[in-house]
Amino acid sequence: MFKKIKRNLKIFLLFGYQSLKTTGQSRQAIFIFTLGKILRFIFLFGVIFLVFSKTKIIAGWSLKQAVILYLTFNFIDTFSQLLYREVYRFRPQVISGNLDLILVKPYHPFLRVLVGGVDFLDLLLLVPYFFILLFFIFQEKISFFSFFLYLTLVMNGLIISTAFHISVLALGLLTTEVDNAIMIYRDILNLGRFPIEIYQQIISFIFTFIIPIGVMITFPVKALFHFLSFNNVVFSFFISFFLLLLSIKFWQIGLKKYQSAGG
Amino acid sequence: MGKYFSVFTLTLKEYFAYRLNFLIWRLRVFIGFLVPFFLWLTVIEEVKNFTGYEKQSIVSYFFFSHLLAYFILGTRTVDIAGQIQNGEIINLLLKPMSFFYYYFFRDLADKILNLLLSFFEVFLFFKIFSISFPSANFQFLPFFFLFLTLGLFLSFYLNLLISFLGFWSAEVWAPRFIFFILISILSGSFFPLDLLPKKLFSLIILTPFPYLFFLPVKMISSPQTLMDKIDIYFLFFMGSFWLVILFFLAQFFWQKGLKSFSFWGR
Repeated sequence: MFKKIKRNLKIFLLFGYQSLKTTGQSRQAIFIFTLGKILRFIFLFGVIFLVFSKTKIIAGWSLKQAVILYLTFNFIDTFSQLLYREVYRFRPQVISGNLDLILVKPYHPFLRVLVGGVDFLDLLLLVPYFFILLFFIFQEKISFFSFFLYLTLVMNGLIISTAFHISVLALGLLTTEVDNAIMIYRDILNLGRFPIEIYQQIISFIFTFIIPIGVMITFPVKALFHFLSFNNVVFSFFISFFLLLLSIKFWQIGLKKYQSAGG
Repeated sequence: MGKYFSVFTLTLKEYFAYRLNFLIWRLRVFIGFLVPFFLWLTVIEEVKNFTGYEKQSIVSYFFFSHLLAYFILGTRTVDIAGQIQNGEIINLLLKPMSFFYYYFFRDLADKILNLLLSFFEVFLFFKIFSISFPSANFQFLPFFFLFLTLGLFLSFYLNLLISFLGFWSAEVWAPRFIFFILISILSGSFFPLDLLPKKLFSLIILTPFPYLFFLPVKMISSPQTLMDKIDIYFLFFMGSFWLVILFFLAQFFWQKGLKSFSFWGR
């Protein structure tokens, strides 16, 4: 078991190293993309302050809580993009038939098609996001237990994100439709930048229980500030486990139905 | 003119051939509309009045901004950079038609389709959530059409300029990414720009971005709150100034690009 993990880690690091070399080819683009992402981050950070300039509470959230929510969103979103960037390049692999060459290799295909293209541009931003997030969290009086629960729920959010990405891969196997599916996932995830309570009840319900971006982003912050019920904590772990299993099942069905094309 | 009308109809037919792609694109635009709409609706319900904006004016702003956003910003000029890179542009250059007109009419088809669908979406959305439809403000209708025309042409020339970078660099997506970010920040898609502190607003108004769709939307939704802050003739002057600058820049870089362009193997 340990030997297998070590081997997979070695392959993952090898793909990561290759990805780093590819990224390093276009330094101009690194600069422009990073600048763009920083500008967007600062702008939306500013929007939160603008919104709270006239009131102290919005939909039950204070300024500090909304800031931590926004930073948590950025952390989860950036982390999943960093890890799962290769999913965005899955369609060309399917339609060219190159996926066959990956499937016959003696390692799990997820090592290549899911985590095989670590995006180092996002790593540049993830580190500052993480420290800014910690800075704001430690400004608050937070108990160790709440912080621990927060971290656990953030990891739970990353599992849900993993499940979404695996589902997109499976959809790619069945329909070659990847680009639109992943972009819709990103758009829906963006709804979690702000408290889910700002949306009308029916939308909040959908984005908590059906497409659980609320569980991914809002729940960890709620747990940090003690306004997440025990039932919802249990529900969070249940839904992530369920979605992960479902996505793996979906991937297996996709593999069975997959017919090599091109090549 | 007939040939450009054919370009227009052919572009429409392209969209009907790839219906699912277009519908998914509209779904994405609609999801993007939900965040600022509900955020500001919640804020207004909390504070009642935000720098002159009340519930009706904020609903009206986002209603018209959803209708007009992709009527103004929708474009097919994003294809140009790729066509320069793979040499496909040669086919177009050999045809007996103006490159600028060709893309203008392609854009027009894109815009009209976007407008129709956005109208349908926003109508359905307001009906489902029982939000009362805002009424248009016709007091400044001539200014609305004036700024709408300015916005359409500014968007066209700005997009062309970014695509023309393809003549000199293979890296065309990074500048477009920055352009999208600047539009989302400075054009008023996330909030009415006149909610900002006056000094910041006065600075932004000097850039071409607010003329893309903040001003047309403002003229048809709630122009009065803007009129109290800034002279409309100054706004018209600045918008026209940017249009002239961008027009000449687009012509200049097009000519320069054509001179430096070479391709083989087609």
